[in-house]
Amino acid sequence: MGAQVAGVGLLTGWGEGPGALPVDAVAAAAGRAVLPLARPALDSERFRRATRECLLGVAAVNAMLAEAGLERAAIRGEGTALLFVTAAAYGASNVEFLGARSGTLHFPYTAPSTLAGEVAIEFGLTGAYVILVGGAPATIDALWQASLLLAQGRCRRAVVLVVETFVECEALWRRARWTLPPPLVETAACALLEAGDTAAVYRAVAAPTRPAAAERRAGRTLAAEPLVTLALARAAGEPAARLTGSWRGRRASIELAVAGAPARV
Amino acid sequence: MSRTPGRTRAVAVVAAGVATPLGLDLDTFWSALCTGVDGISAIERFRVDDLRVGRGGEIKKLRTLRHGHLPRCRASALLLLAADDLLARAALTADPARVAVVVGTALGGVEEGERALGEGGVRAAAGGLYDSPAHALAERLAARGPVLTVSTACASGATALGVGADLLAANAADLVVAGGYDVLCRFVMRGFDALRSLTRERVRPFDRRRSGLLLGEGAALVLLARDADAPRVRLGRLLGHASSSDGSHVAAPDPEGRGLEHAVRGALAAAGVGGEAVDFVSAHGTGTPLNDKIETAVLRRVLGARAGAVPVNSIKGALGHTMGAAATLEAIMCLLAARERVIPPTAGFEEPDPACDLDYVPGAPRPARPRLMLSTSLGFGGCNAALVLEGV
Repeated sequence: MGAQVAGVGLLTGWGEGPGALPVDAVAAAAGRAVLPLARPALDSERFRRATRECLLGVAAVNAMLAEAGLERAAIRGEGTALLFVTAAAYGASNVEFLGARSGTLHFPYTAPSTLAGEVAIEFGLTGAYVILVGGAPATIDALWQASLLLAQGRCRRAVVLVVETFVECEALWRRARWTLPPPLVETAACALLEAGDTAAVYRAVAAPTRPAAAERRAGRTLAAEPLVTLALARAAGEPAARLTGSWRGRRASIELAVAGAPARV
Repeated sequence: MSRTPGRTRAVAVVAAGVATPLGLDLDTFWSALCTGVDGISAIERFRVDDLRVGRGGEIKKLRTLRHGHLPRCRASALLLLAADDLLARAALTADPARVAVVVGTALGGVEEGERALGEGGVRAAAGGLYDSPAHALAERLAARGPVLTVSTACASGATALGVGADLLAANAADLVVAGGYDVLCRFVMRGFDALRSLTRERVRPFDRRRSGLLLGEGAALVLLARDADAPRVRLGRLLGHASSSDGSHVAAPDPEGRGLEHAVRGALAAAGVGGEAVDFVSAHGTGTPLNDKIETAVLRRVLGARAGAVPVNSIKGALGHTMGAAATLEAIMCLLAARERVIPPTAGFEEPDPACDLDYVPGAPRPARPRLMLSTSLGFGGCNAALVLEGV
């Protein structure tokens, strides 16, 4: 048994969906170092105190469900695994916590698992649970973990979620501009994987590749880059996608089957 | 070859290494657990005078490495100390490109992040990323395979072992150095202090008087290999693992323990065994009123009629809650218990609580020959993880 991609939601500093991406991110950024994502307007008492990153995670899952034409009930329960990845999204809460007089509100959110926890609560996801920290290879790892969980019958579907935010720590990211040239583009992206006929081909250590189209079109999205590629592939109607990623000297890749066409691009 | 759905492939735990408040090597750690050494003390490394609680499992002095120098980042330093201990017991006898590193942490190099906000330079900023210590470890080990950082909060050390086992099963690596770490620093002490999770008294897992946890620091690593490739002299095997999300609260466990139960049943199914086969349980056992009650109820449901006869311990009374390191330390403790034929006691447990009615190994180490062991973990964000281990 293999795995296939059944839905992709993409929110970036350029707008919603792959159609919002410019042809050339560097030119379109016009010198801006960070392309921010606004705090999603989710009206709920439960979200009154939630961080922007948490709301972006929820919004990305909503976008994925809309793109796939699915209702929330389709992913609810123990049969759905949640795999969350970020390189940077905990930074905002760290800065808030360090500047706050009381840590009661901000401290739990300094753990990356809290963002995933908010998403799990909102959508009732109570299956297998893995959270990885790192850049694009960590998302490749998460997609592999999702395909493995599906292949082994340890879940019936898997939600792979990435959130990257930079605004609150922009000064720190500016120091890395030589290794991570701007623009940094805030992104919340989500892929839904389900069982399929084609086994995923995972290379935990892959050969060097040229920068992906995702980087040229979206800019620096760190861990979200593979899901940007996936969104582009799905929007183009490609039956499979080869995703690569590199971070801190490591490169990884995965080839995944892509099912059908989006209900909404 | 077809395999039972949900079943995972067992991997060998070849060797282990630790850095803890109870000792900076495996033998000292084990001896301290069995002889009742108290790893909790007044915190000296940073300011705590403005906090409600200023005690924890602090490592007072780091030893030198056999090769190389300790880095400034304390999280990386603890990982390298654990690796130093591990490599004294086993060699990395594989192509470096096939050696993976998978480590779990709740807060990574957060102390470096705090420092980076006040200092210039890209190195300081990079050090604040939560995945930096894992890369520092891989560099020191000359491991050129995949480097993964897992962050399922205080369940991280269990999730990391599970992901490491999966890498071996998928033939993505031939050896995996897996484990967890976290550092006791002002950042984390201030946070838990604000949440009022810390006790001013002794940590008393499962005791009627339990009133909260104390934090500790440490690092723990194991060397994992495919069963068929591993040397015959080994610590034991990881038979099964599973994780789950509570989906109920970001900073408190599900009151019914449904997520934990799902993870435990998943790990047992992955191992191909039932609850009746479990000889010993290493509980998360934080010493908070809610956790210990929930965990007891879950174990009662999963272990069934034998629940009262299965020894259950928690080592957090001895060294504090070491967060990302805790689950790996507890897995190692299980395997040592099987090898040494003795189960360490639950330090701090004296007065039974009607809501916690299992056999918590009070007072003294207990001679036993556990073969199949269950280790449970929970963390912020509703994370649950369970491991099923087999001793030698």
